[in-house]
Amino acid sequence: MKRYLFKRLLTGLLTIVIAFVINFLIINLAPGDPIKTLMGKESDDPVLRAALEEKYGLNKPLHIQFFSYLKTAMRGDLGISIIYNRPVADMIAEKLPATILLVLTSGVLSLIIGTAMGIVAARKEGTFIDVLFSGFSYILNSMPSFWLGLMLIIIFSTVLNILPTYGMTDARASYTGMAYVLDVIKHMILPVGTLVLIEIPMYYRIAKSSVLQVTNEDYILTLRATGMSEKKIFNKYIFRNAILPTVTIFGISLAYLITGVSLIETVFAWPGTGRLVLTAINQRDYPTLIGIYLIMSVSIAVVMIVVDIVYAILDPRIRY
Amino acid sequence: MIRTIVNDKQLLFGILGLIFLLLVAVLAPVIAPEDPYYYGPDVLNKLGENGHLLGTNKMGQDIFSMIIHGTRTSLKVAVISAFISGILGMLIGGVAGYFGGQVDRAISEFINIFMMLPTFFLILLIIALFGNSIYNVMVVIGITTWPSNAKLMRAQALSLRERTFVKAATAMGESRLQILFKYIIPNGVFPVIANTTVGMSNAILTEAGLSFLGLGDPNIISWGQMIYDGKAYLTSAWWIATFAGIAIVITVTIFYLLGDGLNHVMNPKRSKGKGV
Repeated sequence: MKRYLFKRLLTGLLTIVIAFVINFLIINLAPGDPIKTLMGKESDDPVLRAALEEKYGLNKPLHIQFFSYLKTAMRGDLGISIIYNRPVADMIAEKLPATILLVLTSGVLSLIIGTAMGIVAARKEGTFIDVLFSGFSYILNSMPSFWLGLMLIIIFSTVLNILPTYGMTDARASYTGMAYVLDVIKHMILPVGTLVLIEIPMYYRIAKSSVLQVTNEDYILTLRATGMSEKKIFNKYIFRNAILPTVTIFGISLAYLITGVSLIETVFAWPGTGRLVLTAINQRDYPTLIGIYLIMSVSIAVVMIVVDIVYAILDPRIRY
Repeated sequence: MIRTIVNDKQLLFGILGLIFLLLVAVLAPVIAPEDPYYYGPDVLNKLGENGHLLGTNKMGQDIFSMIIHGTRTSLKVAVISAFISGILGMLIGGVAGYFGGQVDRAISEFINIFMMLPTFFLILLIIALFGNSIYNVMVVIGITTWPSNAKLMRAQALSLRERTFVKAATAMGESRLQILFKYIIPNGVFPVIANTTVGMSNAILTEAGLSFLGLGDPNIISWGQMIYDGKAYLTSAWWIATFAGIAIVITVTIFYLLGDGLNHVMNPKRSKGKGV
């Protein structure tokens, strides 16, 4: 167990370091010369250039530049947004809560719904319900998430006119207390619904195949031979063993959600990091984009490692 | 051969679907009633209005013709990026599995790390910084999605190198590279092919996602960009975004069917108990 933990932590750390390296390389390889930008288009004085390179450390070898970049980034300094002239870290921290709210809510809901559907389909394998659920998950799997979001807007807002499509709260009303919470929930229904629908196939597939697999194990056959009721076998043995793989999927799904949510936030104008991504793209605000990428990489690495460790605690058979 | 195809419903529908897509792509100029780049006088026409089967957009372009021509873009993105990802995965995974030892350990760790990095956002970042031509998109999708192919190829190479015919080749004095290209890769390629087909679906979805964030190539017609354009007209002209999305769903489903079908046929061991 200790060895495994150590190995996972090491991989996680390496991932974070690689994320920093990729980031650094992208900044350096990207077209455009920062010194040229600082000096202005017209002037091309070699003395000024040398002085500026000296000041920002750009004349040093790449690996020295990398370590100084690493040192600043570790301190939480991700640079300054060239559009808003504010620290990128602050801008991200402001938008993060709204994104986390979306990610966690839809992550948990899709885990419950997708797994439940998978279990039902496996229990009734080959019946109409199985075929229906499988077809449903197949089609959902092929859908671009943002398009599904747009379609839900057409159905629930344009045609039925029952749900808000824009933002996190009603800008015209200033609710407090319970009314505010209800307002946020109302605004969350469509974005969360879209994300849940997109995530369901992942859990559905895993839950269904793992229930089927466990059901075919020899020890289940033995339990049946002892005359134990089907219900008891399922609740006590099949369910517990079949539920385990969904834990790993939860990690992968959260990682996917952290990046995938950008598209959905764009569709519903949700005030999270996704919107920040969009404005950064449109205004060519590269420091912000790169900062968001870094935060995403690190949080995904952390989520994946935590999930792996939880899995190893839950299922002592798993060791790599 | 034919019996296998007909027996596996997913493979059958996948192949029929692929033939359909290829026909649409090849015959696009014949099927499409209008030039999709033609900015006509019929602006934001409804379905069927002035002979526009699926209406028109704000520039007066015929939606149906755009969707037909968009097939070409999607197929091109799918095939080229999946091809790059497949070749890279095959080579890297083959080397890791066949050479083994330190090489394998280093490459495996690298694959694990790469699989933990957020691919879509990396692609987005590179496209945003280096320009959004469709060729950039294809290449970047290709070079960021190889790890899953490499993992499969590595597992194949690990088992193949213990087989008698590979050992025989070693005894005959064939060089390691010769064995890798002559025996390991050709015999272990099938799961990679199946996975590459699934990768094609993901490439189409990725391209659409990039276009939707405004990072598409403005010089070509793509379904993702049609959805992007249609977003502003969602309430007044719903048809612009809706039908392009349906085209994506159909195409991606076809590639998923094909990938699952190929998986069943090429890995008969896994076909049992595998859900969906």
